[in-house]
Amino acid sequence: MKNIHYIYTLIFGVAVILFFGMAYPHHLHYQEQFQLFLFDCNYAWDIVKLPGGVADLLGRFCTQFFLYAWVGAFIIGLLLSVIQLLTLRLVNWGRFYGLSYLPSCLLWLFLLDENALLGGVWAVLITLLASWGFDKMSGRIRNILLVVAIPVLYWIVGPVCIVFFLLQALRLKAQKWYYSVFVLLAIMLVILAYYIPVPASSLWFGIHYHRYPTQFPTLLWVAALSVFVLALLLNLPKLSSLTSTPSSLTSNLSSLISFAVVTACMGCFVWNNANFKAEKIMGYDFMARHQQWNRIIETINKEKPNNQIGVTVQNLALGMRGMLANHGGEYSQNGIAGLLPDVDRDATSPLPTAEAFYLLGMINVAQRTVFEAQEAILDFQKSARCYKRLAQTNLINGDYEVARKYLFALQKTLFYSDWANETLRLLGNEKAIAEHPEYGHLRKCAYNEDFYFSDHVTPEMLESLYYKNRENRLAYEYLIAYYMLTGDRERYAKFIQTIKK
Amino acid sequence: MKKILFTFLSVLLLTACTTETVSDAKLEKNQPHIYPDYLGVTIPVNIAPPNFGMANETVLLVDAVVTDSKGNSIHSQGEESVDFDIDDWHELLAQNTGDSISVTVSAKYEDGWHTYSPFSIYVSSDSIDYGICYRLIEPGYEVWSKMGIYERDLSSFEERALIENTQFEGCVNCHSFNRGNPADMSLHIRGPHGATLLRQNNGPMAAYDTKTDQTLGLCVYPYWHPSGKYVAYSTNSTQQLFHAADSNRVEVFDEASDLQVYDVNKNELILSPLLKQEPVYETYPVFSADGRSLYFCAARALSEGSHSLDSIRYNLCRIDFNPETGEFGNRIDTIINAEAQNKSVSFPRPSYDGRFLCYTLSDYGQFSIWHHEADLYLLDLATGESRPMVGANSKDTESFHNWSTNSRWMVFSSRRDDGLFTRPYFCHVDAKGNVSKAFMLPQRNPRRFYRDRFLSFNVPDFIIAPTNFDGHEASGLINDEYRKKIGVRK
Repeated sequence: MKNIHYIYTLIFGVAVILFFGMAYPHHLHYQEQFQLFLFDCNYAWDIVKLPGGVADLLGRFCTQFFLYAWVGAFIIGLLLSVIQLLTLRLVNWGRFYGLSYLPSCLLWLFLLDENALLGGVWAVLITLLASWGFDKMSGRIRNILLVVAIPVLYWIVGPVCIVFFLLQALRLKAQKWYYSVFVLLAIMLVILAYYIPVPASSLWFGIHYHRYPTQFPTLLWVAALSVFVLALLLNLPKLSSLTSTPSSLTSNLSSLISFAVVTACMGCFVWNNANFKAEKIMGYDFMARHQQWNRIIETINKEKPNNQIGVTVQNLALGMRGMLANHGGEYSQNGIAGLLPDVDRDATSPLPTAEAFYLLGMINVAQRTVFEAQEAILDFQKSARCYKRLAQTNLINGDYEVARKYLFALQKTLFYSDWANETLRLLGNEKAIAEHPEYGHLRKCAYNEDFYFSDHVTPEMLESLYYKNRENRLAYEYLIAYYMLTGDRERYAKFIQTIKK
Repeated sequence: MKKILFTFLSVLLLTACTTETVSDAKLEKNQPHIYPDYLGVTIPVNIAPPNFGMANETVLLVDAVVTDSKGNSIHSQGEESVDFDIDDWHELLAQNTGDSISVTVSAKYEDGWHTYSPFSIYVSSDSIDYGICYRLIEPGYEVWSKMGIYERDLSSFEERALIENTQFEGCVNCHSFNRGNPADMSLHIRGPHGATLLRQNNGPMAAYDTKTDQTLGLCVYPYWHPSGKYVAYSTNSTQQLFHAADSNRVEVFDEASDLQVYDVNKNELILSPLLKQEPVYETYPVFSADGRSLYFCAARALSEGSHSLDSIRYNLCRIDFNPETGEFGNRIDTIINAEAQNKSVSFPRPSYDGRFLCYTLSDYGQFSIWHHEADLYLLDLATGESRPMVGANSKDTESFHNWSTNSRWMVFSSRRDDGLFTRPYFCHVDAKGNVSKAFMLPQRNPRRFYRDRFLSFNVPDFIIAPTNFDGHEASGLINDEYRKKIGVRK
């Protein structure tokens, strides 16, 4: 039973994997679509040159695997398990062994937020790893390395490294000279604030632990500081005597109980705080992105969507399967706002609508919507999903050099390079594009008479699509749905007359 | 062990530094097709090395030898691009001012080396200013991501950020200097922390709220008076619409716009009823070289609710300005009646020697960067004749531009590379108004640089020295709520 703790860790890791793989997969897809990880030196340098950059880069590297939710879940499970093991190495509470799961569980809570970034988790992991490494050292070298660690560790993980210095303070039994480390750290931050083009508060709280630059990543900090608090409490003489274990049998039993109590409590807490409503919305977006029309219809038949994105995707799937005009009324609707909603200035809500614009043949509208959505990503990252769509819209429009630029960037990715290589071969090849099942069709559907558009789709825009190409079945479906939802009988009658002619 | 390591490292270094000798090369009669195109261009003596690669990307190696008539030469070889030593390059140019240098390019393909017919580059005796300043931004619509204002040393490849919007919430635009002198500077910030940052005579920067109850809105397009006492601004109520099926993606247009001059010392706006006429859109004000005139673009306003954007055509106009009193003349002259040609003028920029005025001509509107047909034109202010700047123009967009302080070089934005991402180009304009073939801003590895950069170079302007702009101080001012109010002269 010597390695029983590893079995507990394994159980914890599997629980995390199952949670993210089964209950929260679309949060991972959501994360992946708002970054573009490039295997490129300039890209890497732009990230690592900022404090916390190494952890950020590692986080982004791992996030690209979130395209496949189970792989993403495995990565998160592994990271949280390693953090638990490191916590145990640093702070062993003996019979209260279960407390070693506290930081990992808090990080699990942190990751429930779709805008919490994996770089923050890496920052905690590296900080604990450094602390564990330093614990194995002693003497003057350790003290010298401690001073060196101030800038180095700060640069690698960002301000979370303070936990490392706090833990070392406990190890050194609060020797007076050691407080100068914190003074040096503070001076360094004040100086850095002058040279690094980010708000000074970011240098103290973390530049890229969270997608919202102005949001303080509370849970991440609580998770990181919990290690120190556990260590601090353990140093209290009264509490330290409580942790002693008289026999191995009692030890195993108490470990099991504490493990069960902490993980069960935290598990309930995680489950209750998970945003399953957002998960459903993200699921609709994911299915629309991957054109899983039948799956969408199966989903809406089980449970009617009650949010705008869900309704938009529902109508797109019904339209793609030729059911919108005749059966749209049998499903939840949200007026014309559920058909082709006005484009908002955020990164999330316009994307499903942009899928509809693209498939309808509103190529420029789709291009603008996707471009704006990408620009609205709060941490200024780019999106592989958006780059792909921008390459497609430019290809359809015949703007081959612009399409080439996006495709060259996608060539530097892990999961989109094959697609980029295939698409690059199409550029300039009019015959191949005309014969392409998607691009050829959309070229035929796209407008050839110009007009101005803004944020609002009008019936004229849909009519123009259909009159231009009567084979554009999706435009027909949307048009009929538009008349139905607005109750515009006059316009509907006029449309029927026109198509009869 | 140490010896083995040393030998290994030495071999590695030697291998890395080795250049391949061009041998058994097939001689090509034609000149090379290189990227960027530097064939036959005129360059200033102090420009950074115009590194280039072959336009054909199947090339394995590219090799270039630059020679002069005195027997000097420099050489470079690379896989993607040649990369001349900066010091050697500048030394060679210094020895060949007013003369041509010859570039012999060889390229290695699968079938071996090919040597092309040499091309020449003319080294002008007219030097260019220290650098340029520009905004980098994705060529988008209404939402912005990361952006900033940057300066670039033209004699090297060094680029430095003045300020980026990672330092505050909002966007930066419309940077302006007084004849390239960054001692006088105006910079707008838009968004929740909106302000106009002004610096005069290298003094302290201040953040202004430029909206008054007598003007349309915030100050927009700036231009410094040569005395440094005034800044001309437009004030615009701008909208955007998007094309459903046109090679031009966006129309940026004004629903109303006026002009005003800001008196820096008195902290007040000078208005004129002639420059804020309701049925007229006035925009892009610039002072003449002597500071006694104000040039601007003016168009008849659309009727309310009309979206006939292709009927908005701007003429180039002028009004007198008295710098001693800060008073305007009482008459507006039309200098170029573009409307009569079914064209539209934007971005007038007089040369600082008072000889020429460069402007952009497009089919309609005033935001010519989104018009593929937009070209540069040169107005001879002595004769009143206007002609296209053939050497500078391309099939795609040429738009914003500025003069160097000696009035012999122009920097302008062009979309000729791919039709979307704006790049800075330079051309030489001699005393007679002859315009040389334009060349792209040199980079160490131009193909990689321009391919990887998904940003447009916006509003390029010359600077005579580093701006010494304190981004930390500026972001402090921007993030602070205090804004200095400005008055209106009565």
